Amino acid sequence: MENSKIIIGYLIYLPVVIALTIYVSKMLFKNGRLFMIDIFKGKEDIALATNKLFEIGFYLINIGWAMLILKISYYSINGMSYQTLIEILSKKIGGFSIYLGVMLFINLFFFFRGRRISRQNKGNTPPQLQNS
Amino acid sequence: MNYNIISYSIYIPIIFFIMIYVGWLFYKHGELFLLNLFQDETLVKSINNLLLIGYYLVNLGYAIITIAYWEVINSIPEMLNTLSHHLGIIIIGLAVLHYNNVLCLTYLVKSKSLKQ
Repeated sequence: MENSKIIIGYLIYLPVVIALTIYVSKMLFKNGRLFMIDIFKGKEDIALATNKLFEIGFYLINIGWAMLILKISYYSINGMSYQTLIEILSKKIGGFSIYLGVMLFINLFFFFRGRRISRQNKGNTPPQLQNS
Repeated sequence: MNYNIISYSIYIPIIFFIMIYVGWLFYKHGELFLLNLFQDETLVKSINNLLLIGYYLVNLGYAIITIAYWEVINSIPEMLNTLSHHLGIIIIGLAVLHYNNVLCLTYLVKSKSLKQ
């Protein structure tokens, strides 16, 4: 029964992490639609398609990373106490949460950058855009 | 049930309450500044939402991660000492971040009003 607490840890860790990822990416890309429409200058279909593709990429990266850091390696003669379990879980879930926040801010930075670039292009070449 | 687990279960609700309340206040009162910067109400709302989520993720993640580096507690006075110590560090960190934010915002608003 040495390993049973590690399995409890996994059973707590996985749902928390996956729910967190799904929630964050839903919110991010719900709010990112406006940016995408701005970036693609109002062409809604291609903006929404790109948004969906980015969302899938976000899921893949984050859930993949969560699985990668899943392993709890803790060995002791006395087995694992609940306190150690809580401490290990806090390190994993907290670390993942900070990582997810950093990813969110990086994504937001890309949104702003794309929006700024598309605005600059719009200012420089309005006649060509209207012709095409 | 040892003292460490008791102190964790006191620490987590307090810090979550403080962080969620402070974040909500920033969210509510920061919208005006963002509106001043961007002048587009729907865009400002989505930016504000995303900033709030990022704030929650980073800060609550940090609050949770500190649990992993908690010292061993043997008595109730010691528990109170460490609790107040950890809470104090996080609240001061929040205050520093907050003043930093306010400085950035005033700088942005000023540079924007100079440009126009």
